Amino acid sequence: MKHDVAELLPFYVNGTLEAPDRARVEAELARCPECSAELDDLRVLAENLRARAQATPPPPQTLLARTFAQLAPEPTLATRLRTAWWSAPARYATAVVLVASVSAGAVAAWHLRESAGHDDRFGAPSSLVYVTRSSAPHAEAAVPAVAAKSGPRTIGAVNASVAQTHRLARTATLELVVRDAEASRTRAADATTALGGVVTALIDEGPPAAGDVHQVHATIEVPAARLDDALDRLAQLGTVQRREIDAEDVDASLVDQDARLRNLRREETALLQLMDKRGSVDEILTVEQKLSEVRGSIEELDAQHQHDLHRVATGTISLTLTEDHPRAAPPNPGPTARIDGAWQNGLRALGETVVAFVSILAWSVAFSPVLLGLAGLTYLAKRGMGRLRPTQG
Amino acid sequence: MTDAEDRALLERIATRDRLAFETFFGAHGADVHRFVRDLVRDDGLAEELTSDVMVEVWRGAGRFAGRSRVRTWVFGIAHHKAIDALRRSHVRTIPLDDLADQPSTTAGPEAAALHAADRRQLEAALASLSAEHRAVLELTYVGGFSQKEIAEIVGCPVATVKTRAFYAKGRLRDALGKAELPR
Repeated sequence: MKHDVAELLPFYVNGTLEAPDRARVEAELARCPECSAELDDLRVLAENLRARAQATPPPPQTLLARTFAQLAPEPTLATRLRTAWWSAPARYATAVVLVASVSAGAVAAWHLRESAGHDDRFGAPSSLVYVTRSSAPHAEAAVPAVAAKSGPRTIGAVNASVAQTHRLARTATLELVVRDAEASRTRAADATTALGGVVTALIDEGPPAAGDVHQVHATIEVPAARLDDALDRLAQLGTVQRREIDAEDVDASLVDQDARLRNLRREETALLQLMDKRGSVDEILTVEQKLSEVRGSIEELDAQHQHDLHRVATGTISLTLTEDHPRAAPPNPGPTARIDGAWQNGLRALGETVVAFVSILAWSVAFSPVLLGLAGLTYLAKRGMGRLRPTQG
Repeated sequence: MTDAEDRALLERIATRDRLAFETFFGAHGADVHRFVRDLVRDDGLAEELTSDVMVEVWRGAGRFAGRSRVRTWVFGIAHHKAIDALRRSHVRTIPLDDLADQPSTTAGPEAAALHAADRRQLEAALASLSAEHRAVLELTYVGGFSQKEIAEIVGCPVATVKTRAFYAKGRLRDALGKAELPR
């Protein structure tokens, strides 16, 4: 048996030889019975070693927790949020594929609907998933993906299932032109309450100066399932200038958070078990420190998780109500109003004078010790001068 | 787990993704543990070393150049740490018989002993080998690494790997031949 071939045999057995070496070995095996015997030997050896490896007990379960305890502390929440879902290129790809497929599906479904000439077979869409941004002034411009039930509307069905299997955080923007901003604001609040929602922010600076337009901004949260309903109702308050729905897929992020939380809780349990074991003060302190780090991470992550769940459960509408006319300048006041104004001004002036007088009085009283002291000093000085004068004369 | 999957995990580990690290640990922890355990032959030390290797993976994930398989890189770290630990404990690690003392290559009663060897005998025979010989046996027959990969893991030329694999097997067979056969 050639020595160089014998040296290649172990790697022939494990199947990692490159073609030229493999050919050399096989040629040698074909003509050398000693080589074949050696090969058999090595195969048995490999089998034995693999069986032994399989029978080797795995490392203890606690090893992972112990290793975790040696890692650098958990990065800050900000870092995790940055890296949680947008870091991996694969996730970008997922996002792109998701958006592309949903959009394509929506357009296809819309065409399907168009080509069917709004055939009655399709019926009224039971739910609409707005997947494209609408910057057109009318709500109808938003392309609806028909949530189909069966038959030729499978594309719509796929979209519906995407919406169901991926947890989406949906936000909407609605800009309306209304006749009376204040009245519309009240009606919007009523509609929100009726749908089980709540107005979470409101900016209304009240009637503006003459020539300006009265505008009200409100942020409304409604149960996610009623977002479309809420938008329809709010749209009735005036003329829609802009209606937009954005859906962010937070599913990957939620799944990730879930897994991290599970992992951190396991780590916490393992650390608690370590605490139970007796150790030196140093060891106990180290474990305690790790434990508090892990618990801090759990709290942060849990808060983020709850926040994301809330975003999924709730649809947020950013509502802007703009009056359709600038506020008119106030009319010229008549003589009665002017006399009334003069009287009011007089009264206000009198009031201010009285207040000023009383203030001076109070000030004098407060400073009376100082004033009295000054008066006393002046008096004493005068007396002293009076005594000096005759002596000089 | 494929190398592509390993690389994806490493990328995530580089972003301090603990879940990815846990997955990676699950995929390679046991293999690394067995490898270093075979080298140092001490359970406590093997656990400590496995942990050290994984911490090194956590720290170095961002620096992984991608020239080799992830598995090769990890086993390289493991080998380095294990040999270091053995050196610290003054155990002979470098085989003296790489180039001399050629054992017989003929198939004789020793070969038969290999066939019949039970686990206990194999264990005893492996214990009589140097750490480097055990490493090359484990990497070749259990790890399934190529000559080049083993050269990278143990940090020596490919020619040395081939010689070492050849003599490791010879040594093992000799040790098995000397061992008492179970009757």
